[in-house]
Amino acid sequence: MTIRTRLTFWYAGVLTVSLLIIGLGTYREIDEQLRHAHRRAPAEHAIYETSDMVFQGGLPAVALGLLGGWWLTRKALAPVSKLTEAITRVHERNLREPLPRTGSGDEFDRLTEVFNAMLARLDDSFNRVREFSLHASHELKTPLTVLCGETETALRDESLSPAERERFVSQLDELHRLARIVDGLTLLARADAGQVELKLEPVGLDELVRDNFADAQILADPQHIRVELDGCEPLTVRGDRHRLRQLLLNLADNAVKYNQPQGHVTMGLRRADGAAEFTIANTGTGISPESLPRVFDRFYRGDPAHSHAVDGCGLGLSIARWIVLAHQGTIRIGSGPSKLTTVTVRLPLDTK
Amino acid sequence: MRVLVVEDEKKTASFVRKALQSEGFAVDACHNGDDALAAAKSTPFDVIVLDIMLPGRDGLSVLRQLRERRDATPILLLSARGEVNERVEGLNAGADDYLPKPFELAELVARVRALGRRGGDNKSPVLRVADLTLDTLTRRAQRGGAEIELTAREYRLLEFLMRSAGRLCGRMMILEKVWDYDFDPGTNLVDVYVRRLREKIDAGFEPKLLHTVRGAGYLLKAQP
Repeated sequence: MTIRTRLTFWYAGVLTVSLLIIGLGTYREIDEQLRHAHRRAPAEHAIYETSDMVFQGGLPAVALGLLGGWWLTRKALAPVSKLTEAITRVHERNLREPLPRTGSGDEFDRLTEVFNAMLARLDDSFNRVREFSLHASHELKTPLTVLCGETETALRDESLSPAERERFVSQLDELHRLARIVDGLTLLARADAGQVELKLEPVGLDELVRDNFADAQILADPQHIRVELDGCEPLTVRGDRHRLRQLLLNLADNAVKYNQPQGHVTMGLRRADGAAEFTIANTGTGISPESLPRVFDRFYRGDPAHSHAVDGCGLGLSIARWIVLAHQGTIRIGSGPSKLTTVTVRLPLDTK
Repeated sequence: MRVLVVEDEKKTASFVRKALQSEGFAVDACHNGDDALAAAKSTPFDVIVLDIMLPGRDGLSVLRQLRERRDATPILLLSARGEVNERVEGLNAGADDYLPKPFELAELVARVRALGRRGGDNKSPVLRVADLTLDTLTRRAQRGGAEIELTAREYRLLEFLMRSAGRLCGRMMILEKVWDYDFDPGTNLVDVYVRRLREKIDAGFEPKLLHTVRGAGYLLKAQP
C-alpha cells in the first residue's frame, strides 16, 4: 500500500469520526432546543433534523475533504516520486551529475541536498580508486622496463650455459606476460576515467571481419581447429578502426584458446534489427551457467580446472566489452548444451 | 653511428646505452631536456632516443624545439604512458617513431638501426637474400627459381623482413608494420605467421634464412 493510499484512508477515518462527533453534538443541541420550545416534542424530530444536516451538509463535506486530501497528499509526495525517479538513474558513471533541487528549502529539498553530498563523496571515492589503478599501472611500467631490459642484457652474454639461458628466457616470457597485463590494466583504468578517445569514422566491418577470419585461421592452425566464415554482409559502422580490430582479434583469440583440438570456430557478420551483428562460436568445454554472467569481469577465469591451461592476461573479454560499450553496442555470451559457446556483438550501423 | 639517449631513469638509460654500444653504436646519454637540447646543438647525432616524461622540460617540448631549429635528426620517442593520442601527438610534432614502455631491448635496437639507415634503403624493386627473391612490382616470390605462393599478409611480412634483412625485427615492430596494430594484441599471431612463412621459404632449402632470436624477435639473413 502506498503512503498516499494509507494517508487517504486515515483522512477518511478522521473525517468520518469528526462527522459522527459533530452529528452527536448537533443532535443533543437540537434535542435541547426542541425540549425548551415544545416541552414535550417527540424525540424523532431531533433525529430527523440531525440526520438531515449530517447527510445533506456533512457527507458532501466529507467527500470534498477526501478529494482535497487525495490531491494534497499527491502534491506533498510529488517530490518523493521525482526523487525516486532521479535516484533510479544514478549510476557509477554519472555520480558527478547532482539531482535537480527545487530550491524551496523544504524537507525534500534538504533531503536532495544531503543525497547530492553523498553522491559527491561516492564520486570522490570512485575517482580515488580509478586514479589509484591508473597511477599503479604507470608506476609498474618503469621497474618492468628495467627488469625486461636487464634480463635481455643478461641474455646477450655469450658465455651463458644452455640451462642458464633457458632460465632467463622463461623469466623474460613471464615478464612480457606481466607487461601485457599492465598494458591491459592501463587501458581499462584509462577507459574508466574517461580518458580514452575513440577516433570515430565509417568503418567497413565486413572487411575487418574478413581480415580477422584470415588471422583466426592462422592462430587455429597449430591445434588443427577448423575456422569457418558463415556469411559476411557488407556493413558499415561508425567506429574506431584500431579498437574494432582489437575487439575482433580478442574474440577470435579466445575462441581458439578455449577450444579443443580438432574443434571448430564459426564466425559471421549479418544485419539484425537494424544493427551489425557479429557472432563467433567455438566448440570446447563450454561455460557453466553460474560462470556466464561473470566472464566479462576482469581477471575472471571460470572454473579453476582449466584456468591454468590457457595463457593469457585475463583481461581480453573485459577489454572487448569496453570496446563494444564505447561504440554504443551490446555484447552477449551464451553457452548451449552442445558445449558450443557463442559470443554475439551488436554495433549500431553508420547512418551517414 | 652516434646515438643520443635522453632518459631520466638511470637504470633504463644504462642498459639502453649498453645494448646500443654492444651493437657498435657510439652512445651519449643525458638525463633531462635542457641537457639534451645542448648536446644536440653541439654534436650531430644520427638518432636521438627521447623519453617523453623528463623532469623539467619534457620530451615533446624537446622534440618541438629541435624541429623548430630545423634539426631533422631522426627521433625515437619512449613513453611509459603508451596512450594512442600521445603517439599521434608525438608523430605530429615530428618524431619518427614511438615505442611504449616496457619495451623489448632488441626492439629498441632494431628501431634505432632502422632510423639510422633511413634514406639509404635499397630502391631496387627486386629484394634478394641469398637465393630468395621478392619482386615488389609483380609481388612474386621465388626461392632457387621455384615459385612460392604467398597470401597477402605473408607477402607483407616477407617484404618487411627482406627490407630489414640482416637486422633483428621485434614482434611489436612486425605487428606495427605488417598488421598496422598499434597495440599488443597479446596473441602469438606473429609467431604463427612466421612459422608458416618459414615452411614456405625454408623447408627443403639450404641455408635456412629465417631465424628466431628467442625473447627478441626474428631475423632474415643468409649466414646463420
